[in-house]
Amino acid sequence: MNGVAHPAGRSGLTLQRRLLVTVLGLMAVVWLAVVASIWYDTGHELDELLDAHLAQAAALLATQRLDDLEGDNFPPPPTLHKYQSRVAIQVWHEGLLMVRSTNAPDAPLADHGQPGLSNQKVDGQAWRVLTTTGNEPHVVIHVGELASARHDILLASLRSVVWPMLLALPLLALGIWWSVRGAMRPLRQLGAAVAARKPESLEPLSARAVPPEVAPLVDALNGLFERMAVLLDSERRFTADAAHELRTPIAGIRMQVQVAQGARSAPERDQALAATLQGCDRATRLVEQLLQLARLEAAAARGGAPDGFGGSGADLAALARSLGADMAPQALARDQHIVLETSEPVTVPMPVALAQVLLRNLIDNALRYSPDGATVRVALQPASPGQGARLVVEDSGPGLPPEALARLGERFYRVLGTGQAGSGLGWSIVQRLARLHAIGVAVDRSPVLGGLRVQLSWLDPGHFGED
Amino acid sequence: MRILLAEDDELLGSGLRAGLTQQGFHVDWVRDGVAAERELRTGAYQAVVLDLGLPRQDGLDSLKAARAHHVTTPVLVLTARDAVSARIEGLDAGADDYLVKPVDLFELAARLRALVRRAHGQTQNFLEAGPVKLDPAAHQVWLDGVPVELSGREYDLLHVFMLNAGRVLSRDQLEQHLYKWGTEVASNAVEVHIYHLRRKLRADLIETVRGVGYVLRRDSAPA
Repeated sequence: MNGVAHPAGRSGLTLQRRLLVTVLGLMAVVWLAVVASIWYDTGHELDELLDAHLAQAAALLATQRLDDLEGDNFPPPPTLHKYQSRVAIQVWHEGLLMVRSTNAPDAPLADHGQPGLSNQKVDGQAWRVLTTTGNEPHVVIHVGELASARHDILLASLRSVVWPMLLALPLLALGIWWSVRGAMRPLRQLGAAVAARKPESLEPLSARAVPPEVAPLVDALNGLFERMAVLLDSERRFTADAAHELRTPIAGIRMQVQVAQGARSAPERDQALAATLQGCDRATRLVEQLLQLARLEAAAARGGAPDGFGGSGADLAALARSLGADMAPQALARDQHIVLETSEPVTVPMPVALAQVLLRNLIDNALRYSPDGATVRVALQPASPGQGARLVVEDSGPGLPPEALARLGERFYRVLGTGQAGSGLGWSIVQRLARLHAIGVAVDRSPVLGGLRVQLSWLDPGHFGED
Repeated sequence: MRILLAEDDELLGSGLRAGLTQQGFHVDWVRDGVAAERELRTGAYQAVVLDLGLPRQDGLDSLKAARAHHVTTPVLVLTARDAVSARIEGLDAGADDYLVKPVDLFELAARLRALVRRAHGQTQNFLEAGPVKLDPAAHQVWLDGVPVELSGREYDLLHVFMLNAGRVLSRDQLEQHLYKWGTEVASNAVEVHIYHLRRKLRADLIETVRGVGYVLRRDSAPA
């Protein structure tokens, strides 16, 4: 993974090193086991084979008559094999060493009274000794072999196995390193491709030429890029829409002020000034709504309550009464009526300020988009066992066609042809609040008044605290 | 000058209408894109102020449709969309000028005057026909260098004649240029204004083409 970012302090081995260590370690353990097994088996077979040779030689000697062996009659045996010098022979008669091979020591190779195979140490040298009695009485024959001889044979046979293994080890390491490096190349390339990206470039990475193991990563990255692109796009649109929505009232205010400046009569000037004031109110409301929305979105991103909206447990009934009184003049100016149907306190688990924002936007929308003389009905129903509080705001306006219902709540989406100076933010705020506080929202045609009906239902109080 | 204003915002629309009226324009105001297209296609306006974000039909679509029907009326697009790409799109759709909200009333009026002037093939900021000179920005008329006092309607009528110098205009056409909707026009109003113009300026300035209408000679020779 060299070349790509590799900050110090990143824990763990690289995949490459980990593979190398694991494979080589396992190989070493297996090879050690193989060597141990060869050592043991070959040693055993060698012992049996050579012991048989000793027994054979002893048997040959035992059949000899003592006289034949005695003294000068016994010539030193010819050297027939290089290992021969390692085999020694002693023939004892009544405690006297009658015959011995030239390489045999003077001391007895083994205890005379113990026939059979034994390991002995004589004059500092280890021997493998076969002891047997001769055919004649009181004759004891020792055929011994230097233990080092057997050891040498064993080592030689092991060497032929171990050397190739030791030579193979670095070759194996090199091979593993090379193939792992090759296998990691797509990952390195992917890393480099992501690192070289500009923050605003969000087109998908190519999933071609990527091994199947890496494909899920590429897919996940592409999924992330896609979601980010959607988010960025919606932010960009929001900025453009917000600019549009703010510019229009400001343009209106500016124009009205210039009209007032150029007015030739007092009524003309007064009218322009009144319109200016109205424009200021509208711009103020728009800015307030934008701020509310921004706070709500920040809160939604954090998953908590928005700044400046502390407390919980709002009485909707009291809020609706005071809001109704606040908005009555606005309604009366257009001959509209607000009907409030509530008796007892209807407490909902959300901050008072937010509940007020919610109610105000709903009632304001109903008034705004209903014709002169319309009725807006606000009905509240307290929570009962198994059911949360409910709020219904409905009007006698024209209602909304289905395609407009579907688009409600898109920021700045405004139903065209209403002749009203709304920004379309009210619904976004209502929906955002509903999502934050798990309030169910249903919009349909009012069966009573014929216009739009918005129903909000809070969760059953028994469910609170679960999420 | 008769102007079509297409703007759906009540506050801005009423301000534009009042302001442009102060500046001497006769303003007809429509509030949606379909009405804007319909009015554009009448060709009765000297210029159009067109908002893009209109209900029922986008202003750009209204403009494209009108241009497709060979409407050459100069159009000034007024919008909150300030991205360069939006401006290019607007101009390519057939707009003659582009202003981003908020706009200055005097700038808007000056641009409208310039649009009208250019639409009539003039590059001077005043109009001349023989001894008569007209400054649209100052609403001032001179005869042989001497200022002449004209009423609003007389000025408007002379302006229309000078913009269309050499062309015969029917009484209907003149009325369309002069009066916004809902104005009661007396049947002989145009004749009366022409009579006054001839009296205040020169008798042979505007000639009657019998059965067709009136024409102002491009270079009426000094008598």
